[in-house]
Amino acid sequence: MKLNTVSARICGGGILCTILLLWAVGLVSPVTAAPTEEFAEASETVERLHQKLLEVMQQSDTLGYQARFNQLAPVISSLFDTPLIVKVILSRYWKKLTALQKSNFIEMFNQLSIATYASRFNDYNDEQFREVSKEVLKKGRLLIKTELLRVKKEPIKLNYLMHQKDGNWLIISVIANGVNDLSLKRAEYAAVIRAKGFDGLVAEIERKIEQMENSNE
Amino acid sequence: MNNISLKHKIISLILIFSFGLLGGCSTAPSKEDYAGAPDRLELANRGFFNFNEALDKHLLKPISKTYAEFTPQLVRTSITNFFDNIAYLNVILNSFLQGKIDQGLSDSVRLLFNSTIGIGGLFDVATPMGLPEHNEDFGQTLAVWGINRGSYLYLPVLGPNTIRNTPDLASSTLLNPLTYVTGAIFFPLLAINIINLRADLLDETSIRDEAAVDLYSFTREAYLQRREFLIYDGNPPLIDYEAMFEDELEDDSVLIIE
Repeated sequence: MKLNTVSARICGGGILCTILLLWAVGLVSPVTAAPTEEFAEASETVERLHQKLLEVMQQSDTLGYQARFNQLAPVISSLFDTPLIVKVILSRYWKKLTALQKSNFIEMFNQLSIATYASRFNDYNDEQFREVSKEVLKKGRLLIKTELLRVKKEPIKLNYLMHQKDGNWLIISVIANGVNDLSLKRAEYAAVIRAKGFDGLVAEIERKIEQMENSNE
Repeated sequence: MNNISLKHKIISLILIFSFGLLGGCSTAPSKEDYAGAPDRLELANRGFFNFNEALDKHLLKPISKTYAEFTPQLVRTSITNFFDNIAYLNVILNSFLQGKIDQGLSDSVRLLFNSTIGIGGLFDVATPMGLPEHNEDFGQTLAVWGINRGSYLYLPVLGPNTIRNTPDLASSTLLNPLTYVTGAIFFPLLAINIINLRADLLDETSIRDEAAVDLYSFTREAYLQRREFLIYDGNPPLIDYEAMFEDELEDDSVLIIE
């Protein structure tokens, strides 16, 4: 149920009321968690991604698409928890796949992520990344809020949902100006699977990767 | 049919349509009020989506591209400023309706400064003076008041919407001074506004076309999330995507039980 509806019923609605309610049920932490050693490592993960993105943007005059792809590949492959990401995206379809289909899909999705970053971060206009705050979530997950600062343009809010796997902090979701890549893909992939089946989806994603390669040549 | 009566007919249609849909809003909790909710009107929505996409591909996009190519950025910014400013009464009213008194006052001064010193809104002099532009509309106000979202609605020509958002079509039309000018001025301005708006979105749509494997679902999901972002003024609750990971954990436990 919508929080606004709940708040409307309990105390007549309004943003203040909604916030009070959220606070009362513990969903909004009144104090942002103090940055401990542990969370510094999580920040480092995001900083490594941002640093690499800045590097390829700044060298965009000399680096072609393939060179950007090659530079980004090791960073993205090691900083994102792709197996968990695809499991969440494919949701109930995931269990119907064979082990081989699963591992192939994880690999293809990783390629898609790298290709998307390589294709989109293709020029540099004095952009900067800045960490804004951290928020501790349920089950030891962490949300790191950052901004991509642009000259004469509104900053883009980039929020990273993180979790710990084998002692490393990994990114499990990126939310750009409120739009969460994970639910976007979940909705899209479900629609494609319904219309064309799982093989159809694989073909579509392969086509996307190829398109990005070709349009950036 | 002359321009004036045609304009009146179009506006009346928008008003009747949006008030009619408001009747469909209810405060009862609905299953459609969470992200990933079923798309009850999918068949009709997809039909109109395909219609709009075709209209865009063959008419609007090519015109906007040419417009963007030949219009200096400074002129384009001024045109965007002008139309944002003239539509700003709707923002002010909704700031107040949501109880954001300070924001409403700052928005009022913003409108005053940009309309006068900013020469009819062509120049945004208010932002550097510490009076930033806000994004409010009646759909956001209804959300703050606790009205449920209702079904996702893809409208011909107008594009993505929700039932809760349709009364805003009326309020933004009624509060826009352009609604009351003669058709001979109204239609050319409307055309410029649409072409300029579309040109401003060329980058966004090219990113969408590059990224999406299903354009319709991508547009729907991105629109619904973007609305949440605006309703909560940039800080929507995390519950929805936290829930996605919870689902996974639950699924795993089901598997173990099996």
